[in-house]
Amino acid sequence: MPVPATDPPAGALDAAARLADRLRWFFLPLALCALVAVGVHTAADVVGEIILRMVDAADAAFDGLVSRWSVTAPLVDLVGPSQRIFFARAVALLWELAADALLALPMLGYDERADEVKRFRELAAKARVRPTTLRVAHPFATGAVALAGSCAVGRLLEGTLHFGLRGAIGSAADALARGCALAAVLGLVSFIAWRAVVYALVRADARSDRIPFRRARAFTVGLPGALLLLPLALAALRAAPLLSFLR
Amino acid sequence: MRRARSLADLVLAALCLWAAWYHTPPGALLRTAFARLFGARSATPPLLSYYGAGARTFQLAEPLPPRAVLSPGAALGLGAQSALERTSPADRAQVLARAGLRSGSADALGDWIGREAQRQGSREAAVLSLFCGEEAARFARERSGSGRGGASLEELARQLPPLYADRVALAATALTLGTAYALGWPLPDSAQVTSPFGVRAHPLLGARRFHSGIDLGIPVGTPVRAAAEGIVRRASDDRVSGRLVLVDHGSGVSTVYCHNDALLVAPGEVVTRGQVIALSGNSGLSTGPHLHYQLDLPRGPADPLLFRAARPPQLASGGTEP
Ligand SMILES: [Zn+2]
Repeated sequence: MPVPATDPPAGALDAAARLADRLRWFFLPLALCALVAVGVHTAADVVGEIILRMVDAADAAFDGLVSRWSVTAPLVDLVGPSQRIFFARAVALLWELAADALLALPMLGYDERADEVKRFRELAAKARVRPTTLRVAHPFATGAVALAGSCAVGRLLEGTLHFGLRGAIGSAADALARGCALAAVLGLVSFIAWRAVVYALVRADARSDRIPFRRARAFTVGLPGALLLLPLALAALRAAPLLSFLR
Repeated sequence: MRRARSLADLVLAALCLWAAWYHTPPGALLRTAFARLFGARSATPPLLSYYGAGARTFQLAEPLPPRAVLSPGAALGLGAQSALERTSPADRAQVLARAGLRSGSADALGDWIGREAQRQGSREAAVLSLFCGEEAARFARERSGSGRGGASLEELARQLPPLYADRVALAATALTLGTAYALGWPLPDSAQVTSPFGVRAHPLLGARRFHSGIDLGIPVGTPVRAAAEGIVRRASDDRVSGRLVLVDHGSGVSTVYCHNDALLVAPGEVVTRGQVIALSGNSGLSTGPHLHYQLDLPRGPADPLLFRAARPPQLASGGTEP
């Protein structure tokens, strides 16, 4: 994207670019954190259906238990069938906040390196040689939710432009919105989501280095977190309609 | 080159922050915190409304009473009419004008939704089209990846920008009420109501308690039929509700059948309207053979009689509950 320095708007653009360059350290961590948070929310929304099934099963088991004693019998109504949806969504919210704490918040510590590709290659190679639950689960989950987040941001932009500009420019708004959404998704995946995966790997690597290398420990450290993240990551992949931006 | 990249990164960062700030629960928490901190007025929606793609339904104090036994199309029309009653006269006029309708009657709306469902491929997309416009329905349908038919209202709503949230809520309300109006009855019409819906003195526990369904007095072994097609979400046994079946009919509507003698279905099973799902009984905390029939809507249990033209005979005294 070369910027000719001759005409005035380009000069303003250049000044903006210079300012943006100076502020990278500030906005990149925020962007990574925000994108992962959007992806986690998209996944948690999808996973709500599964949670509802779990709430049904858990409620049946709970009612079977508490109804045995007259003192606890009124508790049967605690989660009546009508509160199922509320309950499932509350669980989804807690799940989302926990995943945010594990994936999104640490992104605020992102430290950009000149050669991120090299950093990624080295750490990925290390992860292959000395795999730990952390080294596998966190980058995978981060990648999945960042991808879903990119699609969600792209769709949000597309919808906002499509319906916002339709009054002004008619059916051209559709093409413009599609183009912007596609550009945004591609940009987010290749500039922001990718960095999130690298940084997730960096953090997982640092934490893995601290555990003494014994197979069992390498597997068990971070296992609860991985079990929490895995369903969310799979839901995120389901909720990432990459192809729909090309249609 | 690096500066140009920085500018692109800044634009992308702004997009991410915009999306996270306005469209995630943590963003809502931060907005509320900031509003408190700076003493500003905050209009943050409740955290849980960020789920289900914001396809929440309104609480309706009293749905419009049906005049006759309704066909599924007419039921959806009445649901749409009830939802439209929630809007301002100007909004209502706009919705009707966009649909090319002179009258907002249940019949007219039902016919319109039926025709639109043919074109859009599903009743969910048709109802969305009524409240959000044809263009929004088409946009959502194409992007939900389900092409024609199949997509739930949540999946469709997930594709639309937040400016449609209120209209989507109306569509969700219309679908919920339409599904409730279309429900059949689990027992023959002759079955007597032995205990109505609402607050009443509990026959066994004494204190005044909320009765979440209605009790229909019937002999043990009477076939209990599914009020509409749906998926069995629960077929369980406990000492209060006895042997119960919960059927999910979609659009936030489910029905529950308690105190049965025998259950004839299992969780996950798809049932058809009128299918015998249980044999009634006297199981659980109950003083006599009866069926506790409960209608659940997204905001809580509702009186199933409100959605029904025919009123079963009422028994003045007694109770067979819970
Ligand atoms: Zn009852």
